[in-house]
Amino acid sequence: MLKYILKRIMLMIPAILATSFIIYFAMDMTGSDPATALAPDNATEEQIEQLREELGLNDPIFVRYGKYMMGMMKGDLGTSYVTKRDVFETFMTRLPNTIQLAFTAVFVATLIAVPLGIYTAIHQNTWKDTGGMVFALFGVSMPNFWLGMILIIIFSLNLKWFPSGAKGGPESLVLPAVTVGLGFAALITRTTRSAMLDVIRQDYMTTARAKGTGERDVIFKHGLRNALIPIITVIGMQLSNALTGSVLAETVFSWPGVGRLIVDSIAKRDTPMVTGAIIMSCVLMCVVNLAVDLIYAFFDPRIKAQYSQKG
Amino acid sequence: MKRITSVLLCATMIFSLAACSGGKTGDKGSTAAPAAAAGTEAGASQTTSPDSIPAHKEELIIGAAAAVNNLDLQKQADQINNICLKLTHQALFRLDEENNRIPCLALSADWIDDTTIEIKLRSDACFSDGTPLTAEDVKFTFDMAIESPISGNLTGLEGVDVIDDTTVHMQMKSYSNDFLMSLTFIPFGIQSKAAYESGMEKPYLIGSGQYVLEDWVDGEFISFIKSENYWGEDVGISDRITFRPYLEASSRVIALQNGEIDVCIDPPINELQYLEEDKNITVHEQPGTRLFYFGFNCEKEPWNNQTLRQAVACAIDRNSVIQAAVYGKGTPQTTVLNRGLWGFYDDMDGFDYDVDRAKQLMAEAGYPDGGISTTLIIANSSPYTMIAQVIQANLKEIGIQVEIKTLEDATLKSTCVEGQHDLFLWRWNETIRPDCVYRDLFNTGVASNYHHFSDAKVDELTDKVLMDREEAQRQADSKELQTYLVEASPQVPLYIANLVIAYHNDLKMPFFRGGGDHEWYNAYIAK
Repeated sequence: MLKYILKRIMLMIPAILATSFIIYFAMDMTGSDPATALAPDNATEEQIEQLREELGLNDPIFVRYGKYMMGMMKGDLGTSYVTKRDVFETFMTRLPNTIQLAFTAVFVATLIAVPLGIYTAIHQNTWKDTGGMVFALFGVSMPNFWLGMILIIIFSLNLKWFPSGAKGGPESLVLPAVTVGLGFAALITRTTRSAMLDVIRQDYMTTARAKGTGERDVIFKHGLRNALIPIITVIGMQLSNALTGSVLAETVFSWPGVGRLIVDSIAKRDTPMVTGAIIMSCVLMCVVNLAVDLIYAFFDPRIKAQYSQKG
Repeated sequence: MKRITSVLLCATMIFSLAACSGGKTGDKGSTAAPAAAAGTEAGASQTTSPDSIPAHKEELIIGAAAAVNNLDLQKQADQINNICLKLTHQALFRLDEENNRIPCLALSADWIDDTTIEIKLRSDACFSDGTPLTAEDVKFTFDMAIESPISGNLTGLEGVDVIDDTTVHMQMKSYSNDFLMSLTFIPFGIQSKAAYESGMEKPYLIGSGQYVLEDWVDGEFISFIKSENYWGEDVGISDRITFRPYLEASSRVIALQNGEIDVCIDPPINELQYLEEDKNITVHEQPGTRLFYFGFNCEKEPWNNQTLRQAVACAIDRNSVIQAAVYGKGTPQTTVLNRGLWGFYDDMDGFDYDVDRAKQLMAEAGYPDGGISTTLIIANSSPYTMIAQVIQANLKEIGIQVEIKTLEDATLKSTCVEGQHDLFLWRWNETIRPDCVYRDLFNTGVASNYHHFSDAKVDELTDKVLMDREEAQRQADSKELQTYLVEASPQVPLYIANLVIAYHNDLKMPFFRGGGDHEWYNAYIAK
């Protein structure tokens, strides 16, 4: 098992290299000059050229990329062109906010979606099933930013239950987490329903009932446990999405997360910040995917045995 | 089953429509008269001595449209940064309500000859760490500034000599009418030489202002508290001033209505009615300084044809642009200079909206049937999209087909600098130095001359306006320059946007600046 984990960690390296290469060159191909974007509006040609020289922008792209990779190997993700602060430090300032939002959103989503998915699977082809699927359709169709504004108007402006935005106490997390979570809940509901329907029809479920097992145990102990793999997969995917930044929700709620950091840095042509932040996000996604794979092993002994053999 | 589903869907839609309706409304809220100072009363004057500080709420919270990103004065150029730096730093001079230069850290500045300015400093000013502010700090600051990215605002300065503790001489390349106004610019706020030499981590945080930085969490908030060592009588009033970024304008408005913030900067124009209906909120409007304009690439065909440019100027309906872009909250203008700048002259004949005249000029330009296809590049933010759509419709009437291309700000700037564009929409905000309009926008070879306009007479008149010593001659040259530029039409000035700001009724603030760079150290929420 340990060998499997180490192997997965080693496999992150080519993923990170490929990501850094793509992002670095993509930023160069945006068709604008970072020095012009960063310089004051009334900067002279000489000042823009001087800035270009200071930032090393006159070097060929491969030289710049090489220098960046050398720095990265020493743990230095560079300095922001705009804020002049260390990229890694800036990212780590924002990351806890994103983790808070992501985990809370996924928790909200799971809390709503898994019971709902089970319920609709048990009551398949009834109005309860249809209601659940309408909710799922609604969640998938609603634009994130629209839902956020609606929740602010209802729960903040009208009812005064929660603040409208900006990070503060725990109450400031509720609306952003619900906004992001409701969107996730839709997909998790459908996946849960689909997985449970597959499992409910299995012979061992009938056997369990025939042996006198209570319905609750049949559904949760025998049914849900076997349906968990696809559910965990989709929860893991949603968590990865959330950790790389829910930009729209962060904008609507002024939540100082990683998504907003990346988007603002792209607009300002802050290449070190964009590259560094996306590399860190890539690392996070790899870690989340590894965690999801390890959770499979926890719930399914067959998978655990597989990992032990492969390792 | 289908019926139940339909009922559910209808209920959901009705529910969400109800939620979209306006919030609770009270009695009609008060709105300050346009152009009037906000909450001015005897006592809320610009200089408040420590003994006469009125009763106030401890913290003033300002909802900003952007987050602070850099407090190193000479390495940043964003307005939100400068607004915060006005709390912690001071320049040699500052501006009064009428934009006149008045003493601050310096008492006087005089040209003792054509290339030397003698500046006398106060002897009692000090930094927030208690160390005295002397001529050495002034020299240090400007020596740094000459090498900095913002040195373009110090054009002509060659060096600073220390004469004694309270006297410096600034050595200039030549006489300049505008230079002394540059000394009010907060990025040239005086910094502590000793702080830099001590090797401390962020020496630029040491300033002489009424406030010091308390806490800064990137993307969340930045807060300032009163400096214990402030040297002057014009002390800050609020104990703490906090700026919170609300990137989404609607969220900023709701935060104000909820009482989470005390001031909402740049509320969206289409939501002002909700604020005006709120009895706890004041919406203040006054003439602004930001000029929105439509520009030509004068190096590229067919826009190198002056008569054609004049035809386009006649075809653009400025009033429709203002209505569409800012719901009428703007002032049309003919001249290229920002309203409020010295020498502003808007009475030239110009090119008012006149489709018949436009068609006649098209014929004179050699395009009697139009037949021009061109591209207009705009930034992907409000209000450019609305402006572009109005202009596209206007130009269609005279046979010019315009394709609108939306770009990010950075890409638009690069495209314009490289001269790849045909037409563009942009804005320029200048509050104190006319030379920064004439030279930066219209002089030959300047990077920010996105028009790629080159005219020896304009270059010559620009230098004359900058260097004329005689007031009457300078006025005449300035008037001639503006008239000439309007005639040459490298751009079509559209409108000056009004400054709109909303705040809690109890906010006391002597005045707001039309350019948005307000002095918040004067502001407080009265109890």
